[in-house]
Amino acid sequence: MKKILAILLVITMMTTAAVCALADFEPSGNIEWYITSSPGGGSDIYTRKIIEIIQANGWVTNTFLPTNLTDGGGEVGRNKVAYTQGKNADTTILTFNSGDLMPMVVNTDNRIENFTPIAMMAMDKQLLFKGEHTPYNSFAEVLEAIKEGKSVTIGGSKGDDVATYQALAAELGVEETQLPYITYDGTGEAITMLLGGHIDLLISKPAAASEYVEAGSIQPVLALSTERYGGNLADAPTLSEVGDYKDVEVPVWRGIVGPAGMSEEAAIFWSGIFKQVSESEQWKTEYLDKYKLINNFMDYQTVKEYMTKYQEDYLASLDE
Amino acid sequence: MDNLQNLLMGFATVFTLERLAVCGLGAILGLIVGAMPGIGSLAGCALLLPLTYKFEPTAAIIMLGALYYSNMYGGAFSAILLNVPGDSPAVMTTLDGYPMAKKGQPGQALLTANVSSCIGGILGMIILTFMGPMLANFGLKFGPAEMTTLMIMAMTSIGWLLGDDPLRGTISTLIGFVLASIGMDTLTGAPRYNFGSLHLMGGIPFVPFVIGAVGFSQVISLMMERYNGVEMPKDKLTIRGSLLNRSQIKRLLPPAIRSGIAGTFIGVLPGSGATAASFLGYAMQKGFKNKEPLGSGAVEGIAACEAANNAAAAGSFAPLLALGIPGSGTGAVLLGGLMMWGLNPGPLLFTNNPEFAWGLIASLFIANIVALLIAMSIIPNLVKILAVPVKYMIPIITTICFVGAYATSQSMYGVIVMVLSGIAGFFFKKADLPVAPMLLTFVLSPIFEQNMRRAFISSGGSLDIFVGSPLSTAFLVITLLLVCSPAIKAAVKKIRGPKAAQTKE
Repeated sequence: MKKILAILLVITMMTTAAVCALADFEPSGNIEWYITSSPGGGSDIYTRKIIEIIQANGWVTNTFLPTNLTDGGGEVGRNKVAYTQGKNADTTILTFNSGDLMPMVVNTDNRIENFTPIAMMAMDKQLLFKGEHTPYNSFAEVLEAIKEGKSVTIGGSKGDDVATYQALAAELGVEETQLPYITYDGTGEAITMLLGGHIDLLISKPAAASEYVEAGSIQPVLALSTERYGGNLADAPTLSEVGDYKDVEVPVWRGIVGPAGMSEEAAIFWSGIFKQVSESEQWKTEYLDKYKLINNFMDYQTVKEYMTKYQEDYLASLDE
Repeated sequence: MDNLQNLLMGFATVFTLERLAVCGLGAILGLIVGAMPGIGSLAGCALLLPLTYKFEPTAAIIMLGALYYSNMYGGAFSAILLNVPGDSPAVMTTLDGYPMAKKGQPGQALLTANVSSCIGGILGMIILTFMGPMLANFGLKFGPAEMTTLMIMAMTSIGWLLGDDPLRGTISTLIGFVLASIGMDTLTGAPRYNFGSLHLMGGIPFVPFVIGAVGFSQVISLMMERYNGVEMPKDKLTIRGSLLNRSQIKRLLPPAIRSGIAGTFIGVLPGSGATAASFLGYAMQKGFKNKEPLGSGAVEGIAACEAANNAAAAGSFAPLLALGIPGSGTGAVLLGGLMMWGLNPGPLLFTNNPEFAWGLIASLFIANIVALLIAMSIIPNLVKILAVPVKYMIPIITTICFVGAYATSQSMYGVIVMVLSGIAGFFFKKADLPVAPMLLTFVLSPIFEQNMRRAFISSGGSLDIFVGSPLSTAFLVITLLLVCSPAIKAAVKKIRGPKAAQTKE
């Protein structure tokens, strides 16, 4: 009898411990959160908003340390996170969107398998903007100028902005020398260049450009979307409105990943936290509605499938 | 006049007991963090940012401002006392700071650094207050072409300005160039010279590199020399002995003021910041009359670079406040801080939150003065470090180098880089190659490369873009003059030679 009791006790203790480990993951120490583009840009605003909501609601009381690591086009930061191991892996987070995945798989051997996908938070799209030094008033004028043989410079961030730009150039049927693209470490930097008149047009998602549109220093000229935006971006036509073209839209997903070494318990924990964020009123009004994004929350299991599939499709498209 | 009124309103916001206390606390923490090599102002601010979450926004930003400024004061301590620069602007401070400390005037060297920092910082803030938007617009004029030619100008002159032998200086500059190209391509992210190593793909981390090349290499030479080279006269290390005398103050003022003004403008430029400012301030000073030659422990040298880098810090606030664009890494951290409190930095900050924006500016003024006062009160104790015999100093500096290198990279990779660059730095010294040009080029050449390639993309590969704007043309002309100056000097000497010889007789 004693023996059976002892065995039972041991089993109970072990299962309790296992269940506790699964359900009761508590992050310890600081949360290191990496962003691979510069401050003030879209990814940066996105990350800081999520952290703000988590902290304001007290869902996680640990200190968040958001760090912008832009070296090597962001590859350095992604590598750093991918190879974080041990206990730190549970508290290391990376802002990761489709624009990060694309250059990563092209330039390096780093793959989504080196990460633990945690959540998907939103879908984003871009617009083209002009500044006060831009010699063209509308996108129709831009097309006119290109036809006359002038070159019109577009500036923007890395990754997804480049992909959208390429889709636009392909649809317009222009050479990249007529519509050269200059890559910056983040949209914030590109905005400076537009304000100074060093580039003609800016490609940006609504979030990073919003303040400047409100202040009247830049104006949208083209929505890279199948339908017009609302609010202060409503003036920008889509490409099919401008001429005999198809609309160009390359949706950008905004996700969150951790290192491959992150434990499943931690992934479940974080996925739950981000679900709470995505369901909050603050997220809807202060992020999605304000910056005109679409909610598409996915938890850690769904997003893992999604990102892996996305990578597969993208790699396949490169081989064509 | 509006601005003055706003500034006074800002001061009114800051002058409460709580906020002044917070300002003092920030200054003390900043000094401590800044004095630790390997942490530097950027990481310092990032590390201490979370501390401020508990405060109300205005108090929090005041604390951050104080922290930011005093951080830079602290950075000079290890550079001057131990010859270990904690971050890149401090490389310039070691050039004259350490020799001056070695000459038995460590207190004066530290005071010179801090008083000049204060002058530079306050000048910068004054310019920022009255010309903030203008400054920001000046920064906007710098596109890829302008930045490229500015960097060409800076890097052409580095080799000649630092050290006595232009040829050796140029060699060192070029080595810096090569080392900086290791890692990922700045525009496309393609790996270069990484030889399959994941670590090298991220490039050589700067702080371990600097700590090694300057600090650890010196430990090696101390060990090789096997004697107590510098005997500090112990009786001199009193508070009174640390004070600046009148002639030193006179020597300090002109370079500090000149560099302060120049530094403010350089600070506004995108991505250049404090390092470029302290270098250019020093370079400028080389053109003026100095009582002692620069590099031998001259008050002017310390003053010129310290004033410039603090002024640049002030200048970097102009794009941040007027346009919402952070001009420096630290600016970015502060920006992050602002956003945490639900403030949207950007073109509308001054209109929407004037109390806050001006409170920040006022707090930066006060932070400058508080940091100076606190630094002055601890300098007499700090200089005692130099009284420690060399045989104890060697293990202490070695430990600091190792910890500093580890702290920045959080991995043994940083430590390996530190040790290797220490050994390299030691051989540099043996070969009479100056280290500073290599370090500065290492910082500046990525800015150069990135901007040059952007310029070529937008011009379609044509060189015309570099003479397309008055600014970049001017930089090119200055570069040309610099390159030709030895030939011109020689020619002038030849023509005037006989005359000069006559007058000498």
